[in-house]
Amino acid sequence: MPYDVTFTRLETQALFDLKGRREAVQEWAGEALPACPDQPNSKTEAGGATLMFIGPDHWLLRADLAREAALEATLRPAEAPPEMSIVRVSDTLAFFRVIGPEASEILAIACPMDLHESRFGPDTASFTEAFGIKALVTRCEGGFEVGVEQSFGPMMLDCLTRASC
Amino acid sequence: MMQIPCPFCGPRNESEFFYGGPVRPSRPDPAAVNDEDWTAWLTQVPNPLGPVQEHWWHARGCGTWLTIWRDTRTHDVVEAPDDAG
Ligand SMILES: [Zn+2]
Repeated sequence: MPYDVTFTRLETQALFDLKGRREAVQEWAGEALPACPDQPNSKTEAGGATLMFIGPDHWLLRADLAREAALEATLRPAEAPPEMSIVRVSDTLAFFRVIGPEASEILAIACPMDLHESRFGPDTASFTEAFGIKALVTRCEGGFEVGVEQSFGPMMLDCLTRASC
Repeated sequence: MMQIPCPFCGPRNESEFFYGGPVRPSRPDPAAVNDEDWTAWLTQVPNPLGPVQEHWWHARGCGTWLTIWRDTRTHDVVEAPDDAG
């Protein structure tokens, strides 16, 4: 029996990879960013942008593609101080939204992490695996979003299709 | 399956990690060590029956390199033995 889920590939998202200590990131780009998340693998949102704390001194900023140029103008990657790095990586990840009453069943097939709401709440954002490949998993309204390297997009679509039917 | 404790992420499934090999003793000064010890350092990989210290890379997670002690008999992640250097 098929699972009660729908999944869609999202349009390309504006993504900026930020590396550096929290203080350096905040000093350079604090005004353009949501507040830096405190907890590892968590996210904060403000003004339509999401900032994820994805590794030690490593942050990922995500927003709609329409905001990419404006964010780049504010973040000024080429002029960033030497103690940090800012790289536009919008083209690197393909995002899928998996929603519906049984979205967590599909994610349970895809991902070895415990994604129960008590462990993986709405403020969580973490790299892990989905169908055996590196994936950025977050919660969204009614389900989950999964980002994988762009070139794995078709494979991801195929795996989601086979897992849900 | 092993759960490997990542200092950034907490315990995660072993499939998120790449094995980085055992922790080797620090490199001796080749001019100050005898041939036998030098050859041993170059060629012998730690392979105990019991706790071994290993590098793992959280490649499909946060990217951290970490070090754990793993018991080769059980695959349990264990505390460092008392006589560990
Ligand atoms: Zn980690």
